[in-house]
Amino acid sequence: MSALLEVRDLSIAIAGAERPLVDHVSFDVAAGETLCIVGESGCGKSLTALALMGLLSDPPLRRIGGTARFRDRDLFTMPPRELRGLRGGEMAMIFQEPMTSLNPALTVGDQIAEAVRTHRACSPAEARDRALEMLRRVRIPAPEKRLEEHPHALSGGMRQRAMIAMALANDPALLIADEPTTALDVTVQAQVLDLMVSLQRESGAGMILITHDLGVVAGLADRVAVMYAGRVVETGPVAAIFDDPQHPYTLGLIRSIPALSGERRRLVTVPGTVPTPATMPEGCRFAPRCPFAGTDCRAAPPLAEIAPGHRVACHRAPIEEKAA
Amino acid sequence: MNEVVLEAVGLEKRFTRKRLFAPDTVVRAVNGVDLAVRRGETYAIVGESGCGKSTMARLLLTLMKPSDGTVLYEGRDTAGMSERELRALRRDLQVIFQDPFSSLNPQMSVGALIEEPLRVHGIGTAKERRAKAAEMLARVGLRPEHADRYPHEFSGGQRQRIGIARALVTGPQVVIGDEPVSALDVSIQAQVINILAALKAEMGLTLVLIAHDLAVIRHMADRVAVMYLGEVIEEAPADDLFARPAHPYTAALMAAIPIPEIGARPPAATLEGEPPNPVAPPPGCRFHPRCPHARENCRTDRPALRPLGDRRVACHYAEELTLPGIATETRPRAPGVARRFALLDARTKETDGGERP
Repeated sequence: MSALLEVRDLSIAIAGAERPLVDHVSFDVAAGETLCIVGESGCGKSLTALALMGLLSDPPLRRIGGTARFRDRDLFTMPPRELRGLRGGEMAMIFQEPMTSLNPALTVGDQIAEAVRTHRACSPAEARDRALEMLRRVRIPAPEKRLEEHPHALSGGMRQRAMIAMALANDPALLIADEPTTALDVTVQAQVLDLMVSLQRESGAGMILITHDLGVVAGLADRVAVMYAGRVVETGPVAAIFDDPQHPYTLGLIRSIPALSGERRRLVTVPGTVPTPATMPEGCRFAPRCPFAGTDCRAAPPLAEIAPGHRVACHRAPIEEKAA
Repeated sequence: MNEVVLEAVGLEKRFTRKRLFAPDTVVRAVNGVDLAVRRGETYAIVGESGCGKSTMARLLLTLMKPSDGTVLYEGRDTAGMSERELRALRRDLQVIFQDPFSSLNPQMSVGALIEEPLRVHGIGTAKERRAKAAEMLARVGLRPEHADRYPHEFSGGQRQRIGIARALVTGPQVVIGDEPVSALDVSIQAQVINILAALKAEMGLTLVLIAHDLAVIRHMADRVAVMYLGEVIEEAPADDLFARPAHPYTAALMAAIPIPEIGARPPAATLEGEPPNPVAPPPGCRFHPRCPHARENCRTDRPALRPLGDRRVACHYAEELTLPGIATETRPRAPGVARRFALLDARTKETDGGERP
């Protein structure tokens, strides 16, 4: 399967910090595939998404290296005009908080129609028809009425649907969703996830889903990239990540989730906290919190293949053999 | 163990919104709630946005006056308490807030923040207060030198530890946690949950946990009350509730949880739409417009919260419905992977204080 998007060695720096916030991150996304990027606050998952969309706030953030080939063009070197043509067209993004990413002064219908007219030659009436069709597809009740309403009149779940409608209005080949359901209640989250899966199935788009929720990952991902402090520490098919996790951070993440089975064990925790931009350690960035770290971890471990398609950046993997 | 320490009787809170050109609207944020928290237990109140759980927390803390009904602490009506009794009550009844960023005064050092409740209640001499604060700091896994630093120097998880130290320094009987771990990343959340569990056991606390995360509740709670549109619709021992929900709304909540395991059932959207506007709740059972099991009389007859075995449930058909809970078996791990996790467990045991030794 040839990749729709190929990101290689993406690095992002922030002014004033010695080490990059995102450091040599690489991944592929194929058409129809969902790649979940998972990690905690500050791991660089959102910065990676913003860089792909050309939305880094520069300064203080700056992309200092890497390529991102999307349909044989490099997103990072193409002229801004060309990137604007892609953004919201072939490539679209869904954000966590719809209220801050929808224009409060425009009706829902006008915003979607605007997105349509930016990318294709059509009459205002056609754009409006398309907006209505999209609201139907995201199953917003009474779509004709919602078309005329402003974002503040919609509930959180409806706003997120409206944003999905806008993102999908131009049939993007790649959808980037940054914590799309984190702000929603669990029953509404289930509805929105359901919708995203079925719309993706219909359209065959590739999707990058950024989340911190391993439950969402298990339900939706084809492949997973686990990020920690700006680096991909483990990546592979979703089954490998859950059934054969290798990196001590992945193990720690899985172990720290309270079990729904009711097993009342003491939770295993990852000691300490995520390093700040100013305190990024040298070598393996997880080493200061890692129960298996040794002196060799002062050198950064490569992201090495441990099984077909399953890569891990750890000198100690597999742990039961090398750290016992 | 069955002694009731905190009780709500017919508790009601109405908010009135005055409008200029239209009749006032009234929201019943909490609508006739009866519940009894037993000494030493962890009692969880769960529900989605707008269900009234945070209003419940404020009412139970006596930070807000109920429109109707009463809150009883150790059998005494808090509404009739004198200033002095209320002060004593607030020593016994403490709170941990969700947001460790906005609940700590940024101009006070951590030491002063933890001593403050002691000062307010006139407990101990300055020297004793300092010693007590230092002890609490250690118990939540922070270092002595942290006392001289300010909140902005700490991460979210560390600030929540400070919040816990502050809540527990007066030696309360009951602690109400209003989403105490929801703002934290999962690895940090686990640290804070462990600390709360350990301190609860050491200090013999009663914990009332207001939360929306069912996994956290499953892990911590002894009994759970599920709220919908201002009412408790089901209350049950945690194990029973998760194994076999009796109310269709509880079952829908369970079905919607994404389970972090391969091959687990995907999150299911069994409910259409969102909770109705609390200004104009539907007649009959408040859940009937979204309920897949609703029948004719659900539209008109409001089900009371009634006892059913160990639980209470507000559904006309609780006896006949067999609703799926969450499967309790977890898949066995491959031997190598099991050894990997065992090694991790063994090596992280000693480092639970949060800082690496």
